[in-house]
Amino acid sequence: MQLGTMAWRNLMRNKRRTLITAFSVAFGVLLSVTFTASGDYAYTNMINTGAIMGLGHLSVEHPEYQDTPTMDKRLRDAEDIRQHLLQASGVTAARIRIMGQAMFASGAKSVGGTFIAIDPDQETPAYNIFLRTLVDGRCFTADEEHGVVVGAKMAEKLNLRLGKKLIFTLTDKNGDLISELSRVSGIFKTGDDSVDGALVLLPLELVRGALGYEPKAASLVAVFLDDHREASALQGVFAGIWAGRPDIAILRWQQSQPDLAGLIAVDRLFNYLLQFLVGLVIAAGITNTLLMSVMERRREFGIMMALGMMPGQVVRLVLLESCWLALLGLALGVVITTPWFLYMAGIGIDFSRQIGEDYSAGGVLIDPVMKFRLYRESAMWIGGAVFSLTLAAGIFPAFKAGKTPPVENLKQG
Amino acid sequence: MQIVSFALRNFNRARTRTWITVGAMAFACAIMIFYASLLEGWLAAMEKNAVGMDLGEFQVHVRGFRDDPDLYKSIGDEEHVLARLKENGFVASPRLYASGLVAAGNASSGVELRGVDLAREKLVTSLDQHVWQGQWLDEQDHGGVVVGRKLARILALKVGDEVVVVAQGADGSTANELFRVRGILQSVAQGVDRSGFFMTSATFRRLMIVPHGVHAIVVKRGVAGEELDIATSRLANLLPGYEVRNWRQLQPVLARLFNMSDISLVIMLLITYAAVGILTLNALLMSIFERIPEFGVMKALGFSPWGIFAMIVVESMLQVTVAAALALGAGLPLALYFGRHPIDFSRFVQSSSTIAGIAFDARWYCVVTVNSVVLPILFLYLVAGLAILYPALKAALLKPLSAIYHR
Amino acid sequence: MSLISSPVRIVLALLGASTLFWGSAGTAFSAPSPEEQEARAILLEIDDLWRASSSQGLVRMQVKTANYTRTMRMEIWSQGKEKSLVRIVSPLKEKDTASLKTGNTMYTYLPRTDRTIRLTSGMMMSSWMGSHFTNDDLVKESRLSEDYDPRITFRGNRDTRDIIEFTLLPHRYAAVVWGRIVMTVTAQGHLPLLAAYYDEDNVLARTIYFSEVKKMGGKLLPAVLKVVPTDKPGEYTELVYEDLRFDLDLPESLFSLLELRRR
Repeated sequence: MQLGTMAWRNLMRNKRRTLITAFSVAFGVLLSVTFTASGDYAYTNMINTGAIMGLGHLSVEHPEYQDTPTMDKRLRDAEDIRQHLLQASGVTAARIRIMGQAMFASGAKSVGGTFIAIDPDQETPAYNIFLRTLVDGRCFTADEEHGVVVGAKMAEKLNLRLGKKLIFTLTDKNGDLISELSRVSGIFKTGDDSVDGALVLLPLELVRGALGYEPKAASLVAVFLDDHREASALQGVFAGIWAGRPDIAILRWQQSQPDLAGLIAVDRLFNYLLQFLVGLVIAAGITNTLLMSVMERRREFGIMMALGMMPGQVVRLVLLESCWLALLGLALGVVITTPWFLYMAGIGIDFSRQIGEDYSAGGVLIDPVMKFRLYRESAMWIGGAVFSLTLAAGIFPAFKAGKTPPVENLKQG
Repeated sequence: MQIVSFALRNFNRARTRTWITVGAMAFACAIMIFYASLLEGWLAAMEKNAVGMDLGEFQVHVRGFRDDPDLYKSIGDEEHVLARLKENGFVASPRLYASGLVAAGNASSGVELRGVDLAREKLVTSLDQHVWQGQWLDEQDHGGVVVGRKLARILALKVGDEVVVVAQGADGSTANELFRVRGILQSVAQGVDRSGFFMTSATFRRLMIVPHGVHAIVVKRGVAGEELDIATSRLANLLPGYEVRNWRQLQPVLARLFNMSDISLVIMLLITYAAVGILTLNALLMSIFERIPEFGVMKALGFSPWGIFAMIVVESMLQVTVAAALALGAGLPLALYFGRHPIDFSRFVQSSSTIAGIAFDARWYCVVTVNSVVLPILFLYLVAGLAILYPALKAALLKPLSAIYHR
Repeated sequence: MSLISSPVRIVLALLGASTLFWGSAGTAFSAPSPEEQEARAILLEIDDLWRASSSQGLVRMQVKTANYTRTMRMEIWSQGKEKSLVRIVSPLKEKDTASLKTGNTMYTYLPRTDRTIRLTSGMMMSSWMGSHFTNDDLVKESRLSEDYDPRITFRGNRDTRDIIEFTLLPHRYAAVVWGRIVMTVTAQGHLPLLAAYYDEDNVLARTIYFSEVKKMGGKLLPAVLKVVPTDKPGEYTELVYEDLRFDLDLPESLFSLLELRRR
């Protein structure tokens, strides 16, 4: 007789218990998916937000620019590099940028900050968080050579309105001070005061001219990917293409934004730790149930072994039971998790009242809406882990079953 | 009392099954004690970082200083204020602030100069214990300064390097002096990391020509037990002319983070116990089910439904109690062990990372608190109690005859 | 006849893009033409007049703020439009502190620490030597005709004087923070009396008063300038020329970093 069928029938004998046990496995699936998917969504969000805050998923820059971002550290042929980058698969966009520190003055007030010089023809809100969060006005066009987009906090500090002038002063590639005039064409508000008060978008050509850059030069090319998980692979590809150019460095976001990377790494670890702990607890519960069922059937096992069944087979029998349980639990898990997942992936839960709109971690603003996103690999991992854990939970009961003493020694009833 | 003795005796029956159930509950509870302690440890570390390193529990300023800091907006009668605070059970330390420029080699950066009262600062913050390289300030070393971690990186500073400080003195003259880097701090908070520049009060006063007055007084509760809000109003009443703020008011984002964490612990407990509860419920149901004939006999012999109910509840509470004791026995030592030997994530965290602007420590210690032990146990009782209700009710409402002949 | 005084331009550099009309007594207006052309012509004249070869002088500066009152004396040199050197003579505490400006770059030497700091964008808006001038004022030499469009807005009698009032509006892309500058000069001789600086919202930010017309270095010019910020009543910075000479033979090496440190 097939042990597998027997195992199944054993389970079906006590439907309620089997169902409840399978349900707890399913619950484990639910929890695991919840933790993993909310984490993955949050991390992907943060990574993408961090990317569109300026440096992209990958950034191609001068090797020393990351440590000492002075204006002399530049890519002289940034435009050409960009063309090259666009040809790689997985790259959805590449933007030329000049970034640096400057002083911004209006009337008698002034404030220090960072500027990102962009090409208005190239830039879109999709890859630029500041254009995405415009609250007033719009981005400057290619014709508006002196347009500027400022943050709401800076506009407040410097008393700026649309159309008012803003003088910015920066240190050019030779160390000289250059001042230029610009007029406010738009105001953005990300919600993070430190960004809204210190960041400004300038026209690329204006800054290029002010810095005395070569016509194709820029500080960096920000590369945006379809899937941020491709960053390492593509970094290798690009490093290979430009291996002969010591003046080009390719950085993936973990390197250009180490604070963010560190935070995500730790949070992910904690997430897994948590899931592991809960998994242990559920496994313990399953072991508990299986053990009880084994204990109840001692006479049965005793008789089976008296009739010739090997202890090894009894062990396998119980293991198969827990195998079935795992499958059942997984199936049930999929059933109960799917509607929950679909809801959270689509609509999510809004925590903005508890968290507020200005919560940032790792230098990136956190979206107060909790949503799910499950990668195929993650789903497979969860399935595999749940299965293994359930199976593992059955090991001890299985061995206990195999060690059933001879029937004569078993108590009646 | 009959009920209890019955309950106790019933405990001893079906031993294996009982112990298995108790075991599962104990395991879950132990894990939760460990987790709760880990979370408490994390929160304690964050609070220590936030409050204990730089922010302090309270800060006192002249009104208007925080919105628009100025060398001239100082607390004039600082000794008097400090004395008053001491009399009223607070511990306090004065601070001097100014903005300036620091140059090293070809690089320069704007900084926030801070004059530290070495003796008293130790009482309210533990900045002196967070030097990453080199040493903390010393009263005798007039030319030694301690800088923030990011500042050191921006200016490419090592311990022993020379820096020039340029600032506008209180008399309008250009204050400038050479200093030597005595120490570099660990990551504390965004502001300090990027622009923290520390010197002794005496050095500050000499450099900036500020012979009297201080810009802030950092305060801590002398008695640890007092509620933050109560202490805040007490402090404010003591110093009516000044602006008094506690750390939650100074850093509302951080405060929100802590509030959230308390909630998340409760949610975690509920979730985990829910998983356990389902199985416990099943086990209990099973055992009740088997004993239906027994209950039938008891009822026939005069046991009231309430009696049966009570007995079952007491039985299961006994089980929970044993489980709780076991959990304590396993979970507590585990948590205490990790209280000494932290879980170390520093391999994964390359540099300083911040949450809500406060530095994030990559080494996690468990901190065993009343909360971290009591809550898991309390919730265990709660969940088990809820789980037993249905079966106990069912048993209590049995009809004796059909019960006896059940099966 | 005589060329414009460079110290005046230094002062103007110090004041940051303000226009002061220093005319020699005998300068005559050009032949009558549309007002704008006339204003521009005078402006060009002034600009040209500033291209004096060199100057040297001694200035006393008094600063009064809500928190302190200071008096400093300094020696100043200039050459052409681009180069200037200021060295503090007193008080003793700040003696030999020096600022060197060449083009868009400014260095400050601090004798106490024997260090030279190069001006960075972050330092632009901080006050120079505790006065009401910023480093930005010193560096930004707004060349009037290049940065502004002049228009004569009033000609006649005001407060018993015959004056000409100019309004200077910045060019579209001139990197200056002001919305407009209104300059008042004497009709005769074009001696400046008043310069009013307005921001883009038409709020008066500061006013400069000129007085004590004296003959210095062979020319007639106001020896006292007083800068008064509008938002801080009671505060001012006053410059008094004690001595001034023009068209000297100044060595190139004077405007060098090495010279900056010389005591």
